[in-house]
Amino acid sequence: MLHAILHELQTASGPLTLRQLSRKLGVQESALEGMIQFWVRKGRLVVDDGAGGLSEMRVCHSIACGLRACPGPGACPLTLKPPIRFHLSS
Amino acid sequence: MPMIALAGNPNTGKTTIFNRLTGARQHTGNWPGKTVEKKEGTWWHGETRFRIIDLPGTYSLSAFSAEEVIARDFIVEARPDVVIVVVDATNLERNLYLVLQILEMTPAVIVALNMMDVARDQGLQIDIDGLSQRLGVPVVPLTARTGEGLPQLMATAAQVASGPPTTRFLPPIRYSRPIEQAIARLEEAIRAHPQLAQGYPARWLALQLLQDDTFCQEKIAHLPGGVALCQQAREARISLEARYRTDIDALIAEERYAWIHRLVQEVIRGRPQGPTLSDRVDAVAMHPVGGLILFLAIMWVVFKLSTDVAAPFVAWIDLFVNRFLAHWVLEGLALVHLESSWFASLITDGILAGVGGVLVFVPVLMFLYMGMAIMEDSGYMARAAFVMDGYMRHLGLQGKSFVPLVLGFGCNVPAIYATRTLDSRTDRLLTGLLVPFMSCSARLPVYVLIASIFFPHFRTPAVLVMYLLGVLVALTVGFLLRKTLFKRSETSALLIEVPAYRLPTIKNVWMEMTLRTRAFLEGAATIIMAVSIVIWLFLAIPVNGQSAFADTPVEHSAFAAVAGVMSPLFKPLGFGNWQNASALITGFIAKEVVVSTLAQVYHVPQESPGPEEDLGFWAEARLAAISFFRATADTLKAIPGIVGIDLLDEEEPGAPPALGEAIRQGFEQTSGGRGALAGFSFMVFVLLYTPCMATVAAMRQELGGRWTLLSVGSQLTIAWLAAFLVFQAGKIFLS
Repeated sequence: MLHAILHELQTASGPLTLRQLSRKLGVQESALEGMIQFWVRKGRLVVDDGAGGLSEMRVCHSIACGLRACPGPGACPLTLKPPIRFHLSS
Repeated sequence: MPMIALAGNPNTGKTTIFNRLTGARQHTGNWPGKTVEKKEGTWWHGETRFRIIDLPGTYSLSAFSAEEVIARDFIVEARPDVVIVVVDATNLERNLYLVLQILEMTPAVIVALNMMDVARDQGLQIDIDGLSQRLGVPVVPLTARTGEGLPQLMATAAQVASGPPTTRFLPPIRYSRPIEQAIARLEEAIRAHPQLAQGYPARWLALQLLQDDTFCQEKIAHLPGGVALCQQAREARISLEARYRTDIDALIAEERYAWIHRLVQEVIRGRPQGPTLSDRVDAVAMHPVGGLILFLAIMWVVFKLSTDVAAPFVAWIDLFVNRFLAHWVLEGLALVHLESSWFASLITDGILAGVGGVLVFVPVLMFLYMGMAIMEDSGYMARAAFVMDGYMRHLGLQGKSFVPLVLGFGCNVPAIYATRTLDSRTDRLLTGLLVPFMSCSARLPVYVLIASIFFPHFRTPAVLVMYLLGVLVALTVGFLLRKTLFKRSETSALLIEVPAYRLPTIKNVWMEMTLRTRAFLEGAATIIMAVSIVIWLFLAIPVNGQSAFADTPVEHSAFAAVAGVMSPLFKPLGFGNWQNASALITGFIAKEVVVSTLAQVYHVPQESPGPEEDLGFWAEARLAAISFFRATADTLKAIPGIVGIDLLDEEEPGAPPALGEAIRQGFEQTSGGRGALAGFSFMVFVLLYTPCMATVAAMRQELGGRWTLLSVGSQLTIAWLAAFLVFQAGKIFLS
């Protein structure tokens, strides 16, 4: 079941949602989240909330951000919040 | 004093149980050497006082986080008399993993099956006795929120605590034979050393060593026999991993999950089978074609709100800034005899015309930000990302690039930084080169201004076309680059966490909207004002030697002379005059400045009201307030216009009338009477040329100087060619 997650991602032809994968594997969505976290810890899956680069930004630079410091992800108010995504580590 | 530990996954109601049991008899602090909160209290059962410890919420005990280490060490080392594992009955499959891990540490476990009310509402029937039998420990159903079942839970806890300690126990799960054999051999070695055997449960320790738990190894290495045991575990691990060709901890976790899955299948009945309402909505929202149509429809509504619905407020701010504010600022300056000075010119022609010209479009942005906040808060944004990811993949682009590109709709700068999340340099470069084509929110006021002047009845389609054109250009350029410079053979699949649909809350939407608007206003107060002052200065400097400073016609100013040098470049695009050229030059600093520059160079001073029209400050303030309420009413009336029901008495202009007329005349002159075509060409140029200096700085940092130069050069070339194509082809088509 745990390895089936990796297999599904390796063979998928397009993006999958957690719900789609949980139905495919026949496990509860919350249980699947736990399994995914296992692979994230092992480094086989990479979690991406779209703000990875922003966490290291010292300054937004943007006038749109009011020239304020952006100490963490999402600190630039004009940033949209993308969904959390997981992908196989390269 | 007997000790009870409360363990469980986060958000399972563990703390609710703790609070109900201990009431005021609790105190908080930190776990030794950690910043994790420790909660401890007492509970009386008859004459016996129990010590209750609320362990940190964890999903497992794999020693990955501080919380996991605390919970694990406490159970193993402090050896509480009872561990109550609080489990969410609606998420049994996930929660049982922790139960299983704790059962490998101690047999003194009670499973508190919480949230039974929610489980019942969901139609779940849980075979409590069956679950208890399979786990080998008591299972008590309860609803911590109401206290239902809590007395039974604690009576069981008191009973287990007062019972005889179990020295040897058999956890419910048995692993594959080779793993069990390895565990047995390690257990034997552990029991040969009393300090090890007394310090830790042998089977648990064997499992930890087999899984290469470094924390555990550090703890036992100094004990007699510890080093040899670790060596034995290492050899066993290498042998098993060679046999199964995978990590041993993955293998053990796999078997645990499989065991839990089988158990859940046995003990849970009545799980909802058919598609839920959310599934039905998703069938459309995440369909490759239906999802795209829905996305376009939603964007249409957002732009309809940003243009038509926002128009009454745009008109009101224009009236307020350019009539009321400008008039009374001049009146104020007249009191100190400065109404004809350069200072008055700076205030009215510089700051009020420049910054005010942009402030007029704040309602436009507020509606855009509101739309973005609703899409995020409702859970729709994740669905849109899912649909778009599929399309990008079809074009041979990396699906992961979609997020930076979506971020670009808000602001290109964070979008460039977000390319760091991509794996390969090739993907980062490619995505970074495409981001500037995504239309950021700063470009929206330019579209609304130009569309309101030239396409007053088609503002929304005109704006939507700009956004779609940006996406189309990005995808086309990306596709071409992928086929030429950045060849790559495969794209990896993505797993997207799609949140449940929920009704956006007014509070959240308001917060997001005001936060983003405030950021825009801060920009207006800094860069836009600075640029407006610099432009005013250049507009105030005469170059023909016939007029005085701050009293020269704008066409004879230094600014006109400088911008005029560039204007021939824009002649083939239909907007080749010094005014438009200057707006595009300053727009290189930031796109917000395009509108403020147009407002300054096309500035039509408001005529001061005659004596008969001068109503006095308070009467005019009252009129401004009344017109605000009228604008609010008109905005409400404009909402049905989204679905084609027109309740407005007259068409709202959506752009300051005097400025709009001046700009229209300017474009008509430069295009030989094809002002609308030139206006559209101008919008295309604004969409595609370099977004702002901040984006260039971000690109230089992320992509390097060479690629940034190439990117800026290609943006200017593409923008010029696209605008040229629009204007020249349009001319042929319309002639």
